[in-house]
Amino acid sequence: MFLSLKEIKKEKFRYGLIIGMIVLICYLIFILTSLAMGLAQENTDAIESWNAKSVVLDKDSNISLTQSLISKNEVKNTKLTSKEAYIGQASVVAKDAGKTKESAQFIGLDTNQFIAKKLKLTSGHNIKNDKQIVVDEKFQNDGYKLGSKIKFNSNDTKYTIVGFVKNAKLNVAPVVYGSLTTWKDLKNVKGDFVASAIVSKSSNYKAKNSQLKTYSTTTFINKLPGYSAQNSTFTFMIAFLMVISLIVIAVFLYILTIQKIQNYAVLRAQGIPAKTLVSATISQSVTLVISGLIIGIALTAVTAMALPAAVPMSFNVPILSAVSIGLVFTGLLGSLIPIKIILKVDPVSVIGG
Amino acid sequence: MTTLKLNNINKYYGEGSSRVHVLKNVNFTAKKGELNLVLGPSGSGKSTFLTIAGGLQTPSTGDVELEGKAVKSMSNKQRDAMRLNNIGFILQAYNLIPYLTVKEQFQLVNKVKKNNNLDESTFNKLLEKLGISDLINKYPGELSGGQNQRVAIARALYTQPDIVLADEPTAALDSERVAEVGKIFQTLAREQDTAVIVVTHDLRLIEFADNIYQIMDGQMTLNNEMKTA
Repeated sequence: MFLSLKEIKKEKFRYGLIIGMIVLICYLIFILTSLAMGLAQENTDAIESWNAKSVVLDKDSNISLTQSLISKNEVKNTKLTSKEAYIGQASVVAKDAGKTKESAQFIGLDTNQFIAKKLKLTSGHNIKNDKQIVVDEKFQNDGYKLGSKIKFNSNDTKYTIVGFVKNAKLNVAPVVYGSLTTWKDLKNVKGDFVASAIVSKSSNYKAKNSQLKTYSTTTFINKLPGYSAQNSTFTFMIAFLMVISLIVIAVFLYILTIQKIQNYAVLRAQGIPAKTLVSATISQSVTLVISGLIIGIALTAVTAMALPAAVPMSFNVPILSAVSIGLVFTGLLGSLIPIKIILKVDPVSVIGG
Repeated sequence: MTTLKLNNINKYYGEGSSRVHVLKNVNFTAKKGELNLVLGPSGSGKSTFLTIAGGLQTPSTGDVELEGKAVKSMSNKQRDAMRLNNIGFILQAYNLIPYLTVKEQFQLVNKVKKNNNLDESTFNKLLEKLGISDLINKYPGELSGGQNQRVAIARALYTQPDIVLADEPTAALDSERVAEVGKIFQTLAREQDTAVIVVTHDLRLIEFADNIYQIMDGQMTLNNEMKTA
């Protein structure tokens, strides 16, 4: 540690450049990870808020909420407890004169079931009749207010916003909660359909009909349109970035070590143990990576504060901590590569002929 | 008492027709309390002799004994410990780390060798004698060649070694400083009971030596007549 810190202190510019490079790598990884998580979260916010463990869909729907319809006949022998709720999904375009049109996901609810009862409103009240809706805060950010009257698609019926909920998004679109009756109107389905799905807080819930199938929430989420592809893309980008950063850090440390071979040969000639030099190299790498990491985190936090709310960024501390540990581990791995050179330093090389 | 003994040392570099016989049946003995001078021109085998004497490389044939212990029977770790605790190297290209100040060069030694280094007052006297007391916070890059050489000498003596192996320690010094360094080595040998071996072609050091060896084309001879010449 002594050797490594003294060298950094003496060679401020050189090590400043290396730390700067690590800062940029960390910054890029953090921003990408936060964006990936932000986007993933906007796909599933609403589902997560229900605390559901399983979802019952029509078995021929290809695990798609949009494609699933459950009829009265299919649920005639199925009993819903306080842990189950019907949901009816319809994709809508919400509009009000003079305001931005919003592409949204309409979720029809039964006001007596747990989802409607547990909605976490940031303002207003829950729906009390078929003409009332509760919407995601994005509507509020776009100028909609409590009492605003909006229409869906080409339908002339006006619905009144009576409440706002935070983080209610499904497939990156803001959610509009309304009644199941409204859902039937929007979906234009006949009276013998009751919902798109049954959501349960129990992972063992089974509907008593062969046409209905229960899926875990994880399976259901992974089948959301584009969700898996998008997550895989980001995961690969971050993984490649980690590998590239490993190579870049390793190359830099290798060059630094090569430049110090003469000094190490002198120290070895004086009997300074190789382990002292190895630990100096490792501690120097870890110091550089941790310094870069701290500045990178600070920079990411500043960026997050400066970005508009519309940019989906999410800071999940456990995941970002894991990424940070991964980066320190990467630096550690990079510092291990030149160790062979240190161990093979020939002290005779510094004795003149 | 014999501290360092080289018995019938031969050293070859290369193989086949390109093989070079660098040291030829070299016998050498260094006793505590004596200053030994090894004189020879460039390419005579001086540095090879020094590296073998210091346990930095092994001879092709022959044995090196340090305090009665065969160096070839030592592990690498034991050789490291031997160099750290028993030998003080003063190298031609100086033995200073460019990113450590003069003071930090000694702090580094304290980190790896915690005992039996010079106490503060003796250390300060040594720095004063070498004329480097006021350079303590400077980096090697800020010093002249002669100043670096004197710091390197102080660094080698700091661990109170049994043997000091010096490779051209006066190469960058003027005559006045050469005399001072010669006296330091002489005092070190006599007062601290150290075996000092100086490999050089600087004849100005002859007056301080107890034994003078000459090395020529890999062959070493004791030539104490040079002292009186």
